[in-house]
Amino acid sequence: MKKIRLILTVLIAFVTSVAYSQSISITGTVTDASTGEPIPFASVLVKGTRTGVSTDINGKYTISAAPNAVLTFSSIGYTESDIPVSNRTVIDAVLSPSAIALEDVLVVAYGTVRREAKTGSVSTVKGEGIAEVPVTSVDKMLAGKMAGVQVTAASGQPGAASQIRVRGTSSINAGSEPLWVVDGIPVMNGDQSYFTNTGNAIASINPSDIESITVLKDAAAASVYGSRAANGVILVTTKSGKEGKARFNARAKYGISQLSNDNNFGIMNAEQLLGFQRDAAKNRMEIESAANKSKYDPDNAAGLYYRPMSLLDKPLTDWMDHFSRLGKLSEFEINASAGNQRGKFYTSLSYQENEGVFYGIDFSKLTARVNSDYKLTDKLEIGTRVNLAYTVANDVPMQSLYYSNPAFSGMTLLPWTPAYNEDGTHNINIPYNSYTNPRATAEYDDQWEKQYRMQGSFYLQWSPIKNITIKTTNAAEGTFGEGRRYWSPETDIDGATTLQSSTLQYMQLTTSNTITYNNIFNDQHNVRALVGQEAMRRTYNSYYIYSPNVDPAIPYPNTSTPADDEGGYDYSARTLMSFFGIFDYSYESKYLLQGSVRYDGSSLFGSNKRWGLFWSAGGSWNIHNESWFKNIKMVDLLKLRLSYGVNGNDNISAYRAYGVYASTAYNGYTGMLPSTPSNQNLSWELNKSWNLGLDFGLFGRLNGSIDAYRRLTTDMLLSKNVPQTSGFSSNFLNIGELLNTGLEFQLEGTILQNKDITWNAGLNIAYNKTELLNLGDNTEITYSGDSRLKHTVGKSMYTFYLKDYYGVNPSNGEALWRTADGSLSNDYNKGAWIYAGSPEPKFTGGFNTSLSWKGFNLSAFIEFKTGNKVLIVENRYINADGNQMSMNQSTASLNYWKQPGDVGVNPKPIAGTASNSYAFASTRWLQDGSYARIKDITLSYSFPKKWMDSIKMSGLKLYVSAYNLYTFHDVDFWDPERGVTGMGTGIYPMTKTIVGGLELSF
Amino acid sequence: MKKTILIAILSSTLLAAGCQGFLEEAPKLTQSSELTLSSYKGLDKAVAGAYSPLTSTNWYGAYFVLEAEMRSGNAKKSPAPFDSGRMTVPSDLTYNENSTSGLWGTAYFVISAANNVIDNLEGKVATGVTQDMLDNLHAEALFLRALAHFDLVRLFARSYAFDSNGPGVPIILHTDATGTEMPARSSVKQVYEQVIADLLQAETLIDPAYERAGVADPRSVVTLPAIQALLSRAYLYSQQWQKAADYATKVINNPKFTMWTADELYDVWGVEAHTDGEVIFDVYGKPSNSYHGQWETPAQMTSPKGYADCGAALDIVNLYEDGDARGELFQTDSKAPGHHWTTKYIGKGTSPHNTSNVVVLRLSEMYLNRAEAIINGASIAGVTALADINKITSNRGAAAYTSVGADNVYLERRKELAFEGHYWFDASRTRKGIVRNDYDGPAAKKTIAADSYMFALPISKRELDVNENLVQNEGYQ
Repeated sequence: MKKIRLILTVLIAFVTSVAYSQSISITGTVTDASTGEPIPFASVLVKGTRTGVSTDINGKYTISAAPNAVLTFSSIGYTESDIPVSNRTVIDAVLSPSAIALEDVLVVAYGTVRREAKTGSVSTVKGEGIAEVPVTSVDKMLAGKMAGVQVTAASGQPGAASQIRVRGTSSINAGSEPLWVVDGIPVMNGDQSYFTNTGNAIASINPSDIESITVLKDAAAASVYGSRAANGVILVTTKSGKEGKARFNARAKYGISQLSNDNNFGIMNAEQLLGFQRDAAKNRMEIESAANKSKYDPDNAAGLYYRPMSLLDKPLTDWMDHFSRLGKLSEFEINASAGNQRGKFYTSLSYQENEGVFYGIDFSKLTARVNSDYKLTDKLEIGTRVNLAYTVANDVPMQSLYYSNPAFSGMTLLPWTPAYNEDGTHNINIPYNSYTNPRATAEYDDQWEKQYRMQGSFYLQWSPIKNITIKTTNAAEGTFGEGRRYWSPETDIDGATTLQSSTLQYMQLTTSNTITYNNIFNDQHNVRALVGQEAMRRTYNSYYIYSPNVDPAIPYPNTSTPADDEGGYDYSARTLMSFFGIFDYSYESKYLLQGSVRYDGSSLFGSNKRWGLFWSAGGSWNIHNESWFKNIKMVDLLKLRLSYGVNGNDNISAYRAYGVYASTAYNGYTGMLPSTPSNQNLSWELNKSWNLGLDFGLFGRLNGSIDAYRRLTTDMLLSKNVPQTSGFSSNFLNIGELLNTGLEFQLEGTILQNKDITWNAGLNIAYNKTELLNLGDNTEITYSGDSRLKHTVGKSMYTFYLKDYYGVNPSNGEALWRTADGSLSNDYNKGAWIYAGSPEPKFTGGFNTSLSWKGFNLSAFIEFKTGNKVLIVENRYINADGNQMSMNQSTASLNYWKQPGDVGVNPKPIAGTASNSYAFASTRWLQDGSYARIKDITLSYSFPKKWMDSIKMSGLKLYVSAYNLYTFHDVDFWDPERGVTGMGTGIYPMTKTIVGGLELSF
Repeated sequence: MKKTILIAILSSTLLAAGCQGFLEEAPKLTQSSELTLSSYKGLDKAVAGAYSPLTSTNWYGAYFVLEAEMRSGNAKKSPAPFDSGRMTVPSDLTYNENSTSGLWGTAYFVISAANNVIDNLEGKVATGVTQDMLDNLHAEALFLRALAHFDLVRLFARSYAFDSNGPGVPIILHTDATGTEMPARSSVKQVYEQVIADLLQAETLIDPAYERAGVADPRSVVTLPAIQALLSRAYLYSQQWQKAADYATKVINNPKFTMWTADELYDVWGVEAHTDGEVIFDVYGKPSNSYHGQWETPAQMTSPKGYADCGAALDIVNLYEDGDARGELFQTDSKAPGHHWTTKYIGKGTSPHNTSNVVVLRLSEMYLNRAEAIINGASIAGVTALADINKITSNRGAAAYTSVGADNVYLERRKELAFEGHYWFDASRTRKGIVRNDYDGPAAKKTIAADSYMFALPISKRELDVNENLVQNEGYQ
């Protein structure tokens, strides 16, 4: 039987080659139907095969094909044409410029635009491939993908939000996050939970539901979002059904994750630590008087630092290992779509479960979406976009140096402290760790948030006459959350309990109404005009109950003593009313002008400044469409863009403009006291942005763009000190100025393309520089979150302000600081304060490549940041030179001063001298935070169509993907990514994940 | 088409009209200043609230009183383990523009809260709201404004006796809503004139029987005798002896107040609220107060169960003769043998944030004021300085005086009002220096010469930075 099969195979191969040998050679020229010019690099394919060639620079080609074959001619921007060979040897093809092809359309503010017609600076990513990446929310996928869009993880914890900066940071006291617009409706973003930091609102969107993401970067692109546009706008478009038969997709993926540690960071094992501490104690003995020496002797059981070698005989614990585990991720999804000429729908249901790498942490979510569109009549269309999500986030105390934070205590707990009691329960009798054991905390305490989120919008679109479209979109969005934080008797040394409970509710209602006029006159003048109106109202409220000493058997608020309960309530509301217009004009697709205006009224601002006008103007010149340029064959796109615009930042809390009285209790009575001064001139921060850009396309396979921008923030909101004789200490005024300037470069191309192999690659690099120009009366403001960061006029947005650490004195191992006069001192207090660099990267970017061979696809994506500093605050505790004798230490600390002449080492450890060598504000903990991260490598295989046809399936894809596979960096810590401020104290570090999955379509 | 345009125009007109209301989102959990000050009910709450910062640690809630005692040498820093460092600056007198009392911000805050009320009382008579009710609020606000100005000028300026034309503090009679005004310092004399004018007006406005209802401690609210008692002290400080004696007499003759006896004296300091006895005006202490100082209340700062940085110097501990009940008002602790603390803030025992009322005005002071005024030339029919002083000694178990002079009154004042924040200011206004015998700080600060620049504290840099019309005190420039 096997033999027969072999013979058949050989025979088939023979016959096939004979058949091919009968082909004839065909030549010809491919030209443009409208101009008669030849089209270089057009594709000529023998239909139904993978045989194909490209035309040369003169549009000429030569191909072999059977005399009865059909040739398919195509080129980007032209309609494809099929021509039967019919025994001819010369075939000239004439291609007509195409109506807009799908990939040439960009989603922009309130509509779409041909890529060729854009005037603003926008970047896009497609939804393809998104489903394979093992992350919990779409914001994580944007890192490094687009020039000038910097995405920083403030935490590696599943469900945590990212910090996104489009073209730098624009504000000190207002937000710097971009506006998210999903299917035309601005949505809520950021963390919305009460007790955890894993309430990322954007996580409710299932990434694989996304068709495309566009980031509007410059004023021309974004200004029509007015008072919310200053930090850029992220437009997310979700999938719609397509005409054709019903399609089902089922996806499953499963993966594991672990802590990243690519720079060989580690903490000491018991033997190393004991040796280190004994040395530190002995070093202390050396400097003590004879009478005092024994007090510090590590072998003196009555001494302060009794560290006998016998400690190693006790059961030892690797605490980091004890607190961490292999994370697990699984995800299942099914979606269906279908459509005909009248209606389309897309629906999906997905479930994701993400178990963190620390015990006690997990995140799971269930999302469901229905997108539908239906043409009621030729003129009337309705549709809905509905998304529902349920998320459950279990948390432990993270994001700060809590004793119960496993990411911190895992590094500091002493290896000879037992993990368990003799009866098998967790040991919490650890006085030096404040009687906590994070493993017990993870097991017995609660800290969670459960949230329901819904986003629903409904649109009605009416085209009463040709060229005019009237559309109304009305949306509701809500988050309903329940939170619980419970400290159980098992984790309290006194067996006490404490319960905190919360509920919260965010609601946002939006109506967006537009009228669009679109027309082409004389085939030359292309006009689009849009006017619109929007209104938005958002409310927030929360209830909180503090219930001490609840009954552990019934750990709910009803079992605490009512007299001891405390309650809290919070409420805020904001409204926005807008009128706007967009006007686009292009002449022969050569000269394009775009203008936008928005008039926003906001409840957030003072009655004198309630309404603001924002606008932009932009122009672009498609040089490649000039007749004199048509001869330059290698360039198929060359476009120059220039824009200027003014937009606003309204990202402040509600009621800042109101002069209010707040309640105050005294003498058993509740009175009212002035709380904030009235500020009727309070207004948005303004961003005034220039953008100059160049887009180019070469050889039909290389596309790129270069942008230079200048973004000036004025009217920046700052607290200005006022005389206290006025009754208040400060006023919140629009007084500061800040400048962001930058360059962006983006290049994408096809390196190789033939019948079997397609190899694409892309690169983007962005440079940004921030300079504070004016801080009102001040020249420096301390960053509200940490005094080691300053906002200083003439410097970057954030600058580290630290004592200038020099290193050790080679002769005695003491820590030395550079003083203001340039000398060295062993006295920390004499050390000079210096501006030691910024956590803001100079260059950010990414590199991606994708190689396809037959059904295989290998793609890789690398993200990088350079020029930023990070301050690793934890290192102070684990490189404490003998000052922290009840904390484990980093293995880097083993490299300490031992003898005269030692340089480049840590100071000589001396037990418990309270030396300042490990002081908080020291450049010793400051490191270059540059990194290049292999963010994603995915290998997939799609089974051939004919195989699938035989089993009545339309596709099956298998893939494996590695996320954060390896990071190149020089930071002495787990991972270099430490949030926008470069500090990331006590955060859940980044993890690396490997997943495998399959996707079945039928 | 026409219809469409019509609808579009109509709806946009409607929208535009609806906008203004749509964009009004006033805070719900707080109340706009306009609304608060628009009715009697709101004004009443605004007055009640204006008392609240009196319990700030910057003021009677701790440091205004305790730091004065520390500077005066009645108090001394405590040894370990009671050395948190909180009393180092007043003990060593190392005040500078970056490290000075926070009373400035707190007192002017109360002044602005009082001014908001005073400027909005007009036209508020309504159903159920009589002019008398508004007048009572007016009087309370005037008293608070006067007390704030008075304490400011005592703390940040040299005494009236030293130079009445010297720089006092800015007088603020209307709230500057813009925060742009830069008021200069009025003279000490002008500040006293304003304080007295406010109090005199309050005296005429207040109903003699008025006592704010619904409070936990009726002695912590403004009453006619409280106004009169503060007037007596303001006249005393500004050397208007006859008026000082007249107003002291008005309070002394008020049957509401009776002298504490020697037997009562130890226990009167820890009560929840006084219903009889000496207290004319005190500041109510309770953890539920919004401005409660947590671990830094006088109760915590003078108790070995708390921080306890503020100890009692032997200068005061040993000042009392045997049998003087005031000599028993000290406590000790085994952790610091030989060290003492006052029991005047022994507290109400509310754990963990122990707290106590802080006496501002009481009957003994009125006798002392009158005695001092009489010695300086005032006369009250049927009253002698000797009788006034012996009224005190006789109620304390101390020996009676047979004759009395200015120094006797001064000493008796120190003994009687120790740890109540008087001695420092008495030394300043009588232009006597201070000698701190039981003192471990820098030798140069052991003695504070009469008329030393140190009797006025420096104005903070943050205030000088934003008000170019302010001049720093001599000695701190």
